Amino acid sequence: MPASLVIIGGGLSGLAAAIRFARFNPNVLILEQHSRIGGLNSYYYRNNRLFETGLHAITNFASPGDKRAPLNRLFRQLKLKRDLFDFHEQIESEIIFTGNTSLRFSNDFDLLRSEIETAFPSAGPDFDRLLSLINEYDPFAPRPFVSARQILGEYLNNPLLVDMLLCPLMYYGSSVINDMDLGQFVIMFRAIFQEGMFRPGGTIKDLLDVLLASYQNYGGKIRLKSSVSRILRKGNKVVGVELDSGEVINCEFVISTIGYEETLALYGESIPVTENTQPRLGFMESIFEVPVTALPPASSNRTIIFFNQGSRFLYQPPENVVHFASGVICFPSHFQDLPLPATAEIRTTHLANYQLWHDLSQDRSTYLAAKLAARATSRKTVEEIIGQFSSHILYEDTFTPLTIERYTGKKEGAIYGRPEKIKNGVIGHENLFLAGTDQGFLGIVGSMLSGVSMVNQHILPKI
Amino acid sequence: MTRDQIKDLVLDIIADIDDEADFETLVSDQPLRDQLDLDSMDFLDIVMELRKRHQLQIPEEDYPQLASLDSCVNYLEPLLKDA
Repeated sequence: MPASLVIIGGGLSGLAAAIRFARFNPNVLILEQHSRIGGLNSYYYRNNRLFETGLHAITNFASPGDKRAPLNRLFRQLKLKRDLFDFHEQIESEIIFTGNTSLRFSNDFDLLRSEIETAFPSAGPDFDRLLSLINEYDPFAPRPFVSARQILGEYLNNPLLVDMLLCPLMYYGSSVINDMDLGQFVIMFRAIFQEGMFRPGGTIKDLLDVLLASYQNYGGKIRLKSSVSRILRKGNKVVGVELDSGEVINCEFVISTIGYEETLALYGESIPVTENTQPRLGFMESIFEVPVTALPPASSNRTIIFFNQGSRFLYQPPENVVHFASGVICFPSHFQDLPLPATAEIRTTHLANYQLWHDLSQDRSTYLAAKLAARATSRKTVEEIIGQFSSHILYEDTFTPLTIERYTGKKEGAIYGRPEKIKNGVIGHENLFLAGTDQGFLGIVGSMLSGVSMVNQHILPKI
Repeated sequence: MTRDQIKDLVLDIIADIDDEADFETLVSDQPLRDQLDLDSMDFLDIVMELRKRHQLQIPEEDYPQLASLDSCVNYLEPLLKDA
């Protein structure tokens, strides 16, 4: 019997799409190329310890009563009880522009507002006008790209404040160079500043296990280490997929979560590179594990720090391997009411140049040396901001854009995918749809809602 | 099914979607959506549950007929008369 639905990719958007569909029809199959689920938000083991990849914090925090909040809509759609998960809200995060000023924010929006009033005394009324725009804007209405940077410039008339507000939102969800689409800005502003950040009490593995168990409970199937080599078509209708092994799986619908160009490649099409092609944004991430007592005291009440040391905030592929002057520092143990661990992590993220890393990788020892050097520079940069910890490091590791590409399949290690999104998920076939990164809802809650909405819009009404 | 049974069926499905749904103050000829704070995603669940429980195929163009509790009962009564 052919599968009713095949989902390519066992990341969070694929899992959410799968659970949503399996609730009404168990004949669904997830194909995951890796030996583990989770995609960008997965894990690995070193020294008998589990290390998360990707996850810093989950955005879109909401209290249980707020029915329209994205997080609670997601739980209802997947029929998951909130009490299956343990919620730990952030303590406090900070945007630090060295030599200029800093803004603290938490899940209480008033903190950001009062920080802005203190640091930018004349900006209050302008910021309130911007808030009215954000509160009234429908980010899901189809419309062409509107530059958030331009609109913010017009409303706030203060380049530093514009950069400082854009900084966290870009790092946590922009695939566009030095700008964001206004709709995406509104989504991210709500998700990060107005709703706020949290993380589950356990690890990302616990969260993935709950999702997988729920899916399998409905009778859904999953195959790991199963890479799709071709999407088989008759006209503009997909009839099945072929695996690397040569096995053919027939199906009625396909949802691909692996990216637009990555999906096109499965039926032999591609998008020609032209002078108008926007580059993808690659990242480098490092983990420093230290005894919890060795965490710099100045950072004890910080969850995430977004920093910039340059004269302007640049969000673009760097000219060097990594753009160290700006980035993100995450303290995964600094969420409210988490038990005190023996060891804690400091994680750093910077923009990185995929092509340069790719060139370096032609020689393995050169590549490894560059990776070590980049990690050391990242550590020194971060120590200037939070204080010393280098003499206590128990374990450290670094993911370059190449590492991310190898394990997640994301082209050029671009975690937020292509700059241009396909919001309706339609890519020219009557029964093949895109979900996840290139459909355009980002973050864990966003990508899961992406999977759910594509199933709702395109598939459930037709089965 | 009688009209009352259909009404119970719809309320049972909604309770299943949102176990905190408050039916005490529900006005049966007013839109369910506004009164129960449901969105279009929740609404699809009503359609899907009717399909699952009673093999009803409700075409997309008929979804507006499920707006209020009364209109649900009116719409479903002929479809569920033998159920």
